[in-house]
Amino acid sequence: MQPTKSQHPLSATLAPLDDAIRDAMWELFVQIGKFWKNIDDPSEHKPRVYSFMENRIALDPMYRDYYITANNVIKQLVDQYGEVEGYHHLFTDPDAMKSPPATPLALTRQKVSNEFVSLQLAVGGFKAFGAKNYCGFIGGAYVPSAPVPYRTMENHDAG
Amino acid sequence: MQVDTLIIGSGIAATALAQRLLDKNRNASILLLEAGSHVMTRDSALWENYLVTGNLPYDQFKDLNYPQKDKPGENANIGGTEVPLAGSRVITVGGSTIHWGGWSFRLKPEDFKLRTNTGFGIDWPISYSDLESYYGEAEHYIGISGDSDDPSVPRSRKYPFSPFPFSLQDQPVARALEALNIPYGNVPIARYGVGENNQNQVPCQTTGTCKYCPFGSRFNATDRLSDMISSNEYQNFNIISGAVVEEIVITSKSQIGGVIYLDKASGKLIQVDAQRVVIAAGSIESAKLLLRSTSPDWKKGLGNDSDIVGRNLVTHPYFIFTGTIKENPLQLQPEMNFPTLCTRHFDSSAEQGAGKFILVNPADTVPVKLASQMHSGMMRDGLNSYVSGPNQVQLHGMIEVFGELHNRVTNFPSRNHLGMFETSVDFTKDSNFDIRMGQIQEHVDKIFQNMGAQIVGKPSISWRADHAASVCRMSNDPASGVLDKNLQVFGLDNLFVCSNAAFSSIGAVNPTLTLTALAIRLGDYLANE
Ligand SMILES: Cc1cc2nc3c(=O)[nH]c(=O)nc-3n(C[C@H](O)[C@H](O)[C@H](O)COP(=O)(O)OP(=O)(O)OC[C@H]3O[C@@H](n4cnc5c(N)ncnc54)[C@H](O)[C@@H]3O)c2cc1C
Ligand code: SF4
Repeated sequence: MQPTKSQHPLSATLAPLDDAIRDAMWELFVQIGKFWKNIDDPSEHKPRVYSFMENRIALDPMYRDYYITANNVIKQLVDQYGEVEGYHHLFTDPDAMKSPPATPLALTRQKVSNEFVSLQLAVGGFKAFGAKNYCGFIGGAYVPSAPVPYRTMENHDAG
Repeated sequence: MQVDTLIIGSGIAATALAQRLLDKNRNASILLLEAGSHVMTRDSALWENYLVTGNLPYDQFKDLNYPQKDKPGENANIGGTEVPLAGSRVITVGGSTIHWGGWSFRLKPEDFKLRTNTGFGIDWPISYSDLESYYGEAEHYIGISGDSDDPSVPRSRKYPFSPFPFSLQDQPVARALEALNIPYGNVPIARYGVGENNQNQVPCQTTGTCKYCPFGSRFNATDRLSDMISSNEYQNFNIISGAVVEEIVITSKSQIGGVIYLDKASGKLIQVDAQRVVIAAGSIESAKLLLRSTSPDWKKGLGNDSDIVGRNLVTHPYFIFTGTIKENPLQLQPEMNFPTLCTRHFDSSAEQGAGKFILVNPADTVPVKLASQMHSGMMRDGLNSYVSGPNQVQLHGMIEVFGELHNRVTNFPSRNHLGMFETSVDFTKDSNFDIRMGQIQEHVDKIFQNMGAQIVGKPSISWRADHAASVCRMSNDPASGVLDKNLQVFGLDNLFVCSNAAFSSIGAVNPTLTLTALAIRLGDYLANE
């Protein structure tokens, strides 16, 4: 893949995200795996999560503010409900799904947390649900005579 | 400005033709005029944006919907059956293969003899054997993975890449087809494999986001053109984008002299003189351009003395049958973004008169959508039951319909949001169509029953103009067609049309492989002229 080329003109002048916010977003990614019990140890995905955030900000400078807002919202939720319940609230509150997002919580759910869920599934979270490949997962080339990167009829029939 | 060969459009037809001419003579003077602008491909940020939002960087270059009572739009649908233009093509450098599926079937020999076999439409002025070697070239040019031993059509050359094995999602339908003695095969698909590809062609990584492939592993003319330009091999090959060709310049009854285009950036009209012009602007725009290029010699438009240009519009009605299943013990779900199993059993001489059709097992036949369930807050236990529990199955397909004079496209006298003339589409489906769909439903019902699925009502049918064709059809006779067997406009020495518009009939399969074969064949013809 070629390096990222697309950039919003305003994104070029933005200061990079603080480490504290990047770390908080990484923690959000970790919590997705805990909540849905689909990735035990996500550490190998950390560089991908960081580059994902950089790419989002490069395309749309608003994402820098979305991540800053998400950090504040998550802090408040964890302070109010504790870690487990706080994330539970973020991942499941139906009000946070109302469109267009009109509250900091809804912005955090729709622009940050749900996007991380999609990314988390694509980097491997889908495997917990029975499949070998997934739309967005870089499964690998099909090389005749090597294992096929998705579940096939033939392999299944052969047991 | 003056060039030898001027090509209008920069889609796969234009690109394959230009490549063939340049293969014959790397210094050939060729100019592509393209109405659209450039879309960045193979970009990681745009790819991730598509992955998490479903938004594509070229969505803005599609037609808008038809106007509604309470909503503005563009183009006019004046027939009895709506043929949507929105989503059916992309106005951009490289054209519509930026969003194609890559299904790449050959027509069958009987498709070239529609009139002879059925009494409907016309025969092609060429036969399958005239095109056979060009099909092989097109499969290698595009880079198709397919089964070289598939018996459905005769072939003299193998596919460049092996077929993708049937996915586990194919198992229920494969078992059902076996029980019903219906043969099935691999879908020939434009995805690069491991083999004779060049260094710019990364083998498909089965990533499944093919409307925006991060690796460029599915042919699209956008990438091919940028590779041609960046190779610096072709000194006299150029592309001008943002150039809407307004009309062909007519110098006499039998000659054209070039084109006039609107430069969208400056708003100026610019003339380009050319030895010959090839219109490769997609079906609809190719016909509209002929119609609006008039002179005292060609009062009804170029090539339109018989009033055939723009008429005989066909496209493939794309149908989706849905069934319900009580459980999904194999946790079948979309693992791929392209289909691997199809049957051409009903794409046969026996079915030709009634309307031949293909059936395809879509990649999302059991449409499990994990992400949207998680977004909406479904917990882990719920997800487990969702994946293994009751769900749907789908079977997709396309059916051949025949050209009718009254089904047509014409210019609509206002401009769309991309600066081109809008289109008036006048199409009404044949009165027997619903009866034919009923017959197809009986076949699908049997397949579903064998899969343990319960069919749900009637299929959804889209008449979207993805495969719009035949509006400048080839014929043996100027009274029934616009082009001769070499894609040359009847009565004109130096004007050609290279597009699905040239198809004499459309068969039951996607058109682009046949179009590419025709483009390469035209390249040979022009190089030898
Ligand atoms: C969603 C979808 C999926 C598809 N999947 C498949 C598939 O799986 N298999 C298959 O075989 N086919 C498929 N198709 C069809 C396929 O995309 C077309 O057959 C093919 O792209 C046509 O190529 P073309 O070069 O003729 O036209 P295009 O690729 O449309 O190129 C024509 C170009 O001409 C330009 N142009 C038009 N008018 C003018 C003008 N006046 N001046 C200058 N430029 C102009 C346009 O901007 C455009 O870029 C699909 C289509 C759609 C919509
Ligand atoms: S499946 Fe192949 S063509 Fe589609 S996005 Fe992945 S690598 Fe690209």
